[in-house]
Amino acid sequence: MFDTLIHQFWSLTYSGIALGFIYVLIAMGYTMVYGVLRMINFANSEIFTVGAFATMIVSKYVFDFSAEMIPPSNAKLFLVIICCLAASMLVSGLLAFLVELVAYRHLRNRTSNRIAPLISAIGIGIVISEVVRILTRARTQFSPNVVPKKALFTFQGAEIRLDNTVTIFAGLALFIILERFIKLSRLGKGIRAVSMDEDSAKLMGVNLNRVISLTFILGGLMTGAAGFFYVNVYENVKYNMGFSLGLAAFTAAVIGGIGNIRGAFFGGIALGLVEIYASAIVGTQWKPVTVFIILILILLFRPNGIFGEAIQKTRV
Amino acid sequence: MNKKIISGFAIAASAALTFGVVASVPASAAVKEVTIAYQGPLTGDAAQTGIDEVNAVKYALKKYNDTKPAVKINLVTIDDQGAGAVALTVAPGAAANKKIIAIVGPAFSGATISSLPYYKAARLPMISPSATNVTLTDKKSVNYGYPVFHRVPSTDAFQGPALAKWAVQNQKSPKVYVVDDKSPYGTGLASFVKKALASGTLGGSDSTPDDTKDFAATISKVKSTDSNVVIYTGYYAQAAILLNQLRAAGFKGDFAAGDGVMSQSFIDGAGKNAEGALLVAPTIPLSVGNPTMEADYVKVMGAASGEYSAETITITNLFIEAVKSGVSTRSAMLNFINGYKGLTAVGTKLSFDRNGDNNGAAAIGGFIVKGGKTVAIEVVK
Repeated sequence: MFDTLIHQFWSLTYSGIALGFIYVLIAMGYTMVYGVLRMINFANSEIFTVGAFATMIVSKYVFDFSAEMIPPSNAKLFLVIICCLAASMLVSGLLAFLVELVAYRHLRNRTSNRIAPLISAIGIGIVISEVVRILTRARTQFSPNVVPKKALFTFQGAEIRLDNTVTIFAGLALFIILERFIKLSRLGKGIRAVSMDEDSAKLMGVNLNRVISLTFILGGLMTGAAGFFYVNVYENVKYNMGFSLGLAAFTAAVIGGIGNIRGAFFGGIALGLVEIYASAIVGTQWKPVTVFIILILILLFRPNGIFGEAIQKTRV
Repeated sequence: MNKKIISGFAIAASAALTFGVVASVPASAAVKEVTIAYQGPLTGDAAQTGIDEVNAVKYALKKYNDTKPAVKINLVTIDDQGAGAVALTVAPGAAANKKIIAIVGPAFSGATISSLPYYKAARLPMISPSATNVTLTDKKSVNYGYPVFHRVPSTDAFQGPALAKWAVQNQKSPKVYVVDDKSPYGTGLASFVKKALASGTLGGSDSTPDDTKDFAATISKVKSTDSNVVIYTGYYAQAAILLNQLRAAGFKGDFAAGDGVMSQSFIDGAGKNAEGALLVAPTIPLSVGNPTMEADYVKVMGAASGEYSAETITITNLFIEAVKSGVSTRSAMLNFINGYKGLTAVGTKLSFDRNGDNNGAAAIGGFIVKGGKTVAIEVVK
């Protein structure tokens, strides 16, 4: 039962961490919006889908990448990676901004009903997903290999691959940049102020609409980056891909303590590892069962998530 | 979220079928008409199978309707996306639409299992060109399709052992890892493969849901068991994702799969990784079994036939023969099918036993992917 885990531990761990970073970045989209609005952005999973499609489209149709091509030189490869990442982040950031404008701001200004914006966001998510479904005839689209899947070196029998390494280190860099931005910048302080006390922040001159829009955009940028890293590692996109990954990332955010970006970070990494270890130990068919049993157990003992007690201090 | 809206569209489609709002039925009452339906995946990951099959139905019907027959045959298409959950929402409408007297399909076993309760209740006869799960014709099973279900291809009870044999042909000391997609088709075929593998050759097995994107754990198990052959029993989109990840992880062994993977979409998705993939299917391609008809097919349809085109043309021609002999109701069609004795499009005998299986089911073909195409090699014995 534990043979695979023992023999392939480092290989599983490295893959689990790479998957975890994808969850971390999507979870940022959920946790930042929750931290400020106390509402879930249910369209975040579709924002992720669109970000992933952006990478596939740019690599395939702008740079003419194909599965059979010879990998380009380092300089061109770097250019392609930057362009694809930027395209995914920008498209998703813009889409998140539009979601805020259409689904949240309008309703926020006209009603105190907290359910209406949630339903509105679900509606936008369905519209995005269905448009993609119709355009792609619901088929999986295979993406060319943007970051080569070559082994950089071997560690304890595990091949350390370039695509996973890029995902881990770039994902970590993005998380640190976001965390520092929220902590140190003027705009970040505005986000934290609204998160702690919306009315007081308004009285102190914080532009509420601007802060909320910025929060959605930052969440969208992170979610879009997750789309880029996903395509990097898994090389395929599908109209409903955001559903299962979005659910997993939301679970990660809850495990860590929703509203807390450090919680989302540790929740994402933990979920990536638990999923992959559970698949190796009890079989892939038991993965969702194992993950949700762990989630329920965590919430039984820590209803606010693992980092829940720190929410008041570190919430965005 | 997506499932809800898909269900919404499916319910609307069902309602349209129920109330007979069928665009392909002309208003003219001068010519007597009957309607048959095709059910299979016309959108979604498995759409290539459905598109190939529905084109084969259209080919056979065009050849017939172009002769200006006394009774014209119309076609209704039912898109179940190859998924049982979607089939549950479209089958009630098809069953309630009395204009439909027979169904070519469903294409997939899971969708067939979901549809059967409605078609059995409505006594709507069906002949599948590609549903191979054994339980559909097993009278001890809850999925037993009697009296309405029939099929042309042989079952997974034959395909499984053939796949087990075909997959290990390149290995002197084979160690096989079997992965299924948790679907009725995938788990059923995997069980026959595992039973047929020689003692000591099964390295292990895993069951991965058909929306799995990360196969890292499965691949680790393949490596930790030193398996040199991976057999996948599922459909082509997932097969391409698994194979790409296997090769990226350095797996050098053979990849083999059943008829669910035998599609150009698999090769397009897996690219060069698909080269050398070993496939089996209970079908003889039209181009191999009847080159003359294949040439005509290309002329009429403007493209080559696909997987299971021969079986689909066979079924459509059977329905045409029935209509020519005066059949215009479901019960008459059922009697005609049960008493039918004829030939398939590739010249093999066709008649059905009491359970709906083809008495003259064709042997299992062995294929290999070469130069970006699936090449028929031989019949696996």
